[in-house]
Amino acid sequence: MIPLLAQMRFPAPEFENYTLPEMGLEAEVPEMIFWRLAALMVFLVLSGIGFYHFRSRRAMLLLAAGGWFVFGFWFSACPCSVGMFQNIAESAVVGTPIPLGVILLFAIPLACAIFWGRLFCAGACPLGAVQEWLHWKNVPVPLPVDRVLRMVPVLVLTLCTVMAASGMGYYLCRLDPWLPMFFAAVPTTVGVLTLILLVTGLFVSRPFCRYLCPYGVLLRFFTLFSPARPQITPQPCIRCRLCEQGCPNGAILPPEPEERSEVQKEGLRRLSLLVACVPFALFFGGLLGTLAAPAVSSLHRDVRLLRELRAGAETKEVEAFEVSGTTLAELHARVAMAENRVLVGMCLGGIFFAGCGMAELIANARRRQEEEVYQIVPSLCFCCGRCYSTCPLNRKEVSS
Amino acid sequence: MNRRKMIGGLLGVLALPFTLLFRNRESGAAGMRWQIHPDKCIQCGKCETECVLTHSAVKCVHQFVSCGYCLFCSGYYQDKRIHFDTAGENLRCPTDAISRTYIEDPYFEYRIDEEKCIGCGKCVKGCVSFGNGSLFLQVRQELCKNCNQCRIAMICPSNAFTRVPAEQPYIFRRPPEEKK
Repeated sequence: MIPLLAQMRFPAPEFENYTLPEMGLEAEVPEMIFWRLAALMVFLVLSGIGFYHFRSRRAMLLLAAGGWFVFGFWFSACPCSVGMFQNIAESAVVGTPIPLGVILLFAIPLACAIFWGRLFCAGACPLGAVQEWLHWKNVPVPLPVDRVLRMVPVLVLTLCTVMAASGMGYYLCRLDPWLPMFFAAVPTTVGVLTLILLVTGLFVSRPFCRYLCPYGVLLRFFTLFSPARPQITPQPCIRCRLCEQGCPNGAILPPEPEERSEVQKEGLRRLSLLVACVPFALFFGGLLGTLAAPAVSSLHRDVRLLRELRAGAETKEVEAFEVSGTTLAELHARVAMAENRVLVGMCLGGIFFAGCGMAELIANARRRQEEEVYQIVPSLCFCCGRCYSTCPLNRKEVSS
Repeated sequence: MNRRKMIGGLLGVLALPFTLLFRNRESGAAGMRWQIHPDKCIQCGKCETECVLTHSAVKCVHQFVSCGYCLFCSGYYQDKRIHFDTAGENLRCPTDAISRTYIEDPYFEYRIDEEKCIGCGKCVKGCVSFGNGSLFLQVRQELCKNCNQCRIAMICPSNAFTRVPAEQPYIFRRPPEEKK
């Protein structure tokens, strides 16, 4: 490889009757993201109307199909809101320029979630739509397994944020299991993951949304304080339990049983024990994160390059480094910076993850508010509308 | 009241990312696009195979102003050629995407048929090694899906992929007007 200046070996000839051909490159690229944002808002509004006003399962299914087509194929499937947290993290730490549209794509579904719950998952997410349509026979996930698996998205969120923020690229997008659905030439390793998810999706409702999606974690958090409480039925509930059994996502809470299963004192003791454990959990989370940092940073481009240089490997990366004119000192500085970022990020990430785990435990150990009827939990509800159609009181012949 | 405060707080949290617009000034309202920096590219051939599209969005472009119009173009003929004629075994391009036209003695014009180009970068390697470097790989923006994380960018060994503003979506070898 030869440096650029030495490459001008032959002077351009001077022709008499010759015009230079155009290179045929367009000067500017039209930006589609604002159309995408407009469509996103339309779909959010439509799913809001379908869920709160028409209260119809069929409308939600149709919207999901529409969202699948519009956001998966009409616009190209990428970029989508699910991966945008990585752009935000990278931009905040590394300082990469970030367009306004990307921030809006990240923020609009969350802002919507604050007020009206996870309408994004129901109508505007092509990934959710596939799983919604695919769900065939429900096999309920045992509650303890569900609670443990629910922490996986938090882990994905933490890791991807740390990786993006330390300049390692967007691993979530690289390993996105839904890519083969929208693009043809994706390696089979990713395709295997897609197949697993699709087959699981036949029996378990929305396996990706519930047990992998990092954006779902954010949506869940932002719905915690949502004022909109969708009512399963406007009629007085007869406590038939059909909605609770019919909800495949475990988003319907039964009313508090009349007699308590345990003495209040015991519950209090467990709760205070958990609260007392929080500092230790945070400490161990941070410690584990720090210990895992070298493994994470070894995925970094520069760290890998330095390792290959030291080992004397003859890879394309080493070849590119040798012709690039970067000095070894510069590379060392970049590696040190990357490792430092990953270390700090993983430490904070570990603390965050442990905090989330403890919050989940404490929320489970806490005594729930007493409710008279079956309630929808907005943070777990995907606004699919199944409970509306299973509730016998919503059937026309009954209500009239 | 408590809930109202929480909602306000959450909205405030959502407003935080917008401060990035002011901090990282280079970004405008318009988007960013993926592009290859031709000076960093080492023509490893990954662009041909790694793109999510069946036919890669990376194509070879020809910057005519810096071309030497060589009779024996090293991007056109391969190193182990038998003769300097246009027979298939003498050519470098695996898909015959480069066409050669006579201009005047001893100069030839080379054009790239992008329909045929697969972005393998073999001609670029030849041009860079023995010629002027007027052939180089670029992400063709009308083909590129602008994925949030370009798959080629993630494994590009020379880290040649960068994001460029959509107003100037191509990186030229050297500014064309500089040589006019």
